[in-house]
Amino acid sequence: MLTLVKRSAKILSFFFLLYTPAFFCFAQTLNDAIISVEVKNGTVEELLQQVSAKANIRFSYNPRKLDQTKITYRAVEKNVKEILRDISATFKLDFQFLENQVIVKQMKVAEKKPESSTATLSGTITDSKTGEALIGTTLFIKELQAGTSANAFGFYSLTVPKGRYEVTCSFVGYESVTSTIDLASSINHNITLMPSTPVLEEVVVTTNNSLDVIKGTKCSNVHVPVVTVEERPAFMGEMDVIKSLESVPGIKLHSDGSTFYYVRGGNRDQNLILIDDAPIYNPSHILGIFSTIVPDVVNDINIYKGDMPASLGGRISSVLDVRTKKGNDQHFVMWGNTNIISTKIGVEGPLRKNASSYLLSARVSKVKWFFQRADDQIKKFNFHDLTGKINAKWGNRNRFYFSFYSGADYFIRANKGISWSNNAGTLRWNHLFNDKLFLNTTVCLSGYDYFLYTDIEKDIKWNSHISNFNIKNDFSYFINPDHELTFGLSLNGYAFNPGNLQTNGKVPDKYAISVRNSGELILYGNDEIKINDKLGLNYGLRLTNWANSGEAFEFIFDKNRNPIDTLYYEKGEKYKQFTNLEPRFTLNYVLNENSSLKTSFSKNVQNIHLITNSVSPFTSLEVWLPSSYNIKPQKSRQVTLGYYRNARWGTSISTEVYYKRMWNQIDYNPHAETLLNPLLERELRFGKANAYGLEVLARKDQGRLRGWIGYTYSRAKRKFADINNGRTFNAFSDRPHEINLLLSYDISLRWNIGANWVYYTGSPYSAPISYYQFNGEEVPVYAQKNNARLPDYHRLDLSANFRLNKNPNNKIIHTLAFSIFNVYGRKNPLFIDYNKTETSNGELRIPQNVADADRVTSQFYLFRFAPSISYNFKWL
Amino acid sequence: MRNIIFLSTVVLFTFTRCEEVIDARTDVGNPDLIVVEGIITNERINHKIKLTRPYQTQNETPARVSGAFVRITNGTDTLTLTESPALSGEYYTPKVRAVTRQPYTLIIETDGKQFLATDSSEPVEPLSPLEVKKLNGELTLVLNESGTEANFIDYNINWKNTPACTGDECAGKVVFYDLKTIDVNEMYKPKEDKFTFPERSVVIRKKYSVSPAFKAYLRAMMSETRWRGGVFDVERDNVPTNFNEGATGFFAVSTVISDTTVINL
Repeated sequence: MLTLVKRSAKILSFFFLLYTPAFFCFAQTLNDAIISVEVKNGTVEELLQQVSAKANIRFSYNPRKLDQTKITYRAVEKNVKEILRDISATFKLDFQFLENQVIVKQMKVAEKKPESSTATLSGTITDSKTGEALIGTTLFIKELQAGTSANAFGFYSLTVPKGRYEVTCSFVGYESVTSTIDLASSINHNITLMPSTPVLEEVVVTTNNSLDVIKGTKCSNVHVPVVTVEERPAFMGEMDVIKSLESVPGIKLHSDGSTFYYVRGGNRDQNLILIDDAPIYNPSHILGIFSTIVPDVVNDINIYKGDMPASLGGRISSVLDVRTKKGNDQHFVMWGNTNIISTKIGVEGPLRKNASSYLLSARVSKVKWFFQRADDQIKKFNFHDLTGKINAKWGNRNRFYFSFYSGADYFIRANKGISWSNNAGTLRWNHLFNDKLFLNTTVCLSGYDYFLYTDIEKDIKWNSHISNFNIKNDFSYFINPDHELTFGLSLNGYAFNPGNLQTNGKVPDKYAISVRNSGELILYGNDEIKINDKLGLNYGLRLTNWANSGEAFEFIFDKNRNPIDTLYYEKGEKYKQFTNLEPRFTLNYVLNENSSLKTSFSKNVQNIHLITNSVSPFTSLEVWLPSSYNIKPQKSRQVTLGYYRNARWGTSISTEVYYKRMWNQIDYNPHAETLLNPLLERELRFGKANAYGLEVLARKDQGRLRGWIGYTYSRAKRKFADINNGRTFNAFSDRPHEINLLLSYDISLRWNIGANWVYYTGSPYSAPISYYQFNGEEVPVYAQKNNARLPDYHRLDLSANFRLNKNPNNKIIHTLAFSIFNVYGRKNPLFIDYNKTETSNGELRIPQNVADADRVTSQFYLFRFAPSISYNFKWL
Repeated sequence: MRNIIFLSTVVLFTFTRCEEVIDARTDVGNPDLIVVEGIITNERINHKIKLTRPYQTQNETPARVSGAFVRITNGTDTLTLTESPALSGEYYTPKVRAVTRQPYTLIIETDGKQFLATDSSEPVEPLSPLEVKKLNGELTLVLNESGTEANFIDYNINWKNTPACTGDECAGKVVFYDLKTIDVNEMYKPKEDKFTFPERSVVIRKKYSVSPAFKAYLRAMMSETRWRGGVFDVERDNVPTNFNEGATGFFAVSTVISDTTVINL
């Protein structure tokens, strides 16, 4: 018998060699065949029969040797080769191609290692139509009540006792897939999920994603689905990632027309914005009316409100982690959008199907024309963005990505103006050492420049700059479903120019204000462990070492802030280091299948600081300085207690209370000179801040009616010895009550409507309590800092999206989006002023004739009842 | 075409920033302060020191601080100022000129408190030629920076002796501050209501030098007055003073240069 088998094997080998060319031809044919198959509670044999019928392939197998377990499998318009790969991985079947038939055999297990009692199921989870990684997808084993979620690259790993399991993979907006997997040994199993077919379902099928919220050990973290950003009523039709954050409790946008935001009482420079791990220092366009992040290129958005994983940090209030799409690796797609503000276009497609892809998106503004109608002195008023990404797979264990972002703004009026630009690039290597150990190596370059043109004709401009280079290794070690270890090392290099004059495009030989260079070494480790069925713990430690280096000079001040010494450092000479430990932990107690309690503590440290005394909602002077002799690292400690619950109809509710303390907070000497001031650090004042609050968010991300309802009660206070006579005062973001309501409803398969309503207590500001006269000017006298509040803010936005195509399967999909911003025309003031006079034609102006000035109190607001229409297309 | 016009109107409406007069009720207070407004110069004149109180409602006439004992000293000589007319809160020196770079101290005693401030003057640079242009048939000043040192120029304009003067108000005052600072709130300050005047008006210009402390005061005052309300405002705060606690305003010593022009284009 054995001899017979050996002989058969030899014959098969011979035939294999003989037909290898034929195999390649056949494989080529297989590559070209795109089919759809679906088996619900059927057998693998039924699946093979469907493939056979649809792809015209003849399978040869022994039915008795095929697994008879009931399975569920679905593939729509998928390559046959991919389907066979799925079947092979899931059912451990080998396919041998002989002439025009495929011999199906049970896969031989090659492992000769000592028998282990556990096996690992690992792989990637992607969108079946685009190949995009589905970050955060939940994989759940019913029998073990254990699961995991895909990481930022769609990779998952689950090590469990050997056995046969029913594995369910689910993600919001996608159809869940359940399959029975025989884990006799470790297998690599790549999963593709189908986007949900749009249906008008009143009853929602909930997915296990909510389990991640209940059982996961993340606190103060909100995942914002890209579709939520896209469906939100957009101002002027410009979908905006940053603006959509206003629906997240705990995040407060500065005001209309601004991309500045404040998280849990922190300053605006305490929020790190990452696009593919590269920091973006100024995410605004047109002074802040729009943001730089185009949702069309975004795959995933996560915001951490202080409780960051140990791998993230560097800012003490939040991290906005944006991952761009890698590009469709299945087929070419082109998309675009035009509205009265801008036009954008994007292309993506495979370079090599299933292996590599590209994405390129560009956006240009067309607002200059409109503004020039109102002001003929405007010479330049425009912005642009360019985003791109390519990726390539190298074998089954390596994938490379390169992504970049470049954006700039120009606002030139008469002979003066401002401009700024952000540029960022990321090179990434994902490597799978084995089915448990994953490595992500990233090299990032990011730069931000701000120019203030004081004389365009003479080419005199002020320039501030910050750039950084980062290289890091992030390891993920999936010990078992209940235990994941992440650790890594990161090196950062920073260059700062806190603002120097350039003439005729030349950088001065000697800087009036010292440029700075800094380096940062970061080591971190994070352990996520499920202690028992009820208790989960996530704890981590981040060690940062910050060091400044020459060539630079630093001023030393006495206690009265008089400069007493100047320290000069040679190129490369290290000085003034700071080493900090940043511990953090989250403890999760699962009350039952649908609810849990979590508590967390985190300490964060920040070594780069934005120096600006502007209260404007618009982008203005952006000067960054490192921690050094005169600026200590900003620090925060935050404790959070949360209750999370899955309710009916696919709704989840999260409630968090927090208390946060911040040290070495920066404020300013009254009327500080932050521009071209060599003694800039003398203008800074340091103090403490604290914030506390309650945040409630109810959300429903699926079904015909979707939406978020949020309520926040929060307070934010600051205390500085040299400000407000040392008394505590309200921070700008101290807005005790905030309500957010975001709704989206599918009227039909072609019509979708949305609404967004925001209410919050007015922001504090300093109002004069009296006035005095000096040389004809009426000078205000202030008492307590931020003693008054602007009127309460509220606004309703509405939107309607209409798909022009009747047939949703058309190659080109056209949609029209209508939106009205501030429907009921609420006047939400940005500032209240006390220095203008009303002219005979009703305009408010500064009186030039001080002998006869009749000054009034006035308010300034933006955007009442702003309707818009935009056209979108997608060529699939 | 109608649709385009409609769309453009909507767009312009949307983007036109809106500003309106409001009746904002905020906390008012009556800080226990005296306000000092005084500049002594190199001119041989009776220099004025004006003492008032802050007021709570805009455009109010401030209450005067009368009966104060006011002196100016350069360390060796002391001048006593006289309130004139009585109860006016305006105190005058004898005819005297301030010496450039000489420190002078103003001493005010009132209500049992003493307030002190010291300043010294810098040299002043020459005036550049006066420039005016026609605006809607009337004249307006062309205000340009000049020289290298911080200064301000008072333009006192009157047309009382011209046929164009038909009412009581035939005069005006424009002050141009040229502080040689770079401030974004200044660069993008709100628009001014241009002051216009008729031909044959008399323009008396007086250019003041400013000391570093006075410059800091004026810069802060500008941030709270003429530069506030643009798109790049800075944190609001009290304007500094060179007086000790309890007084505000500024006592300045300046060097001035002046000229008079009858406009006849």
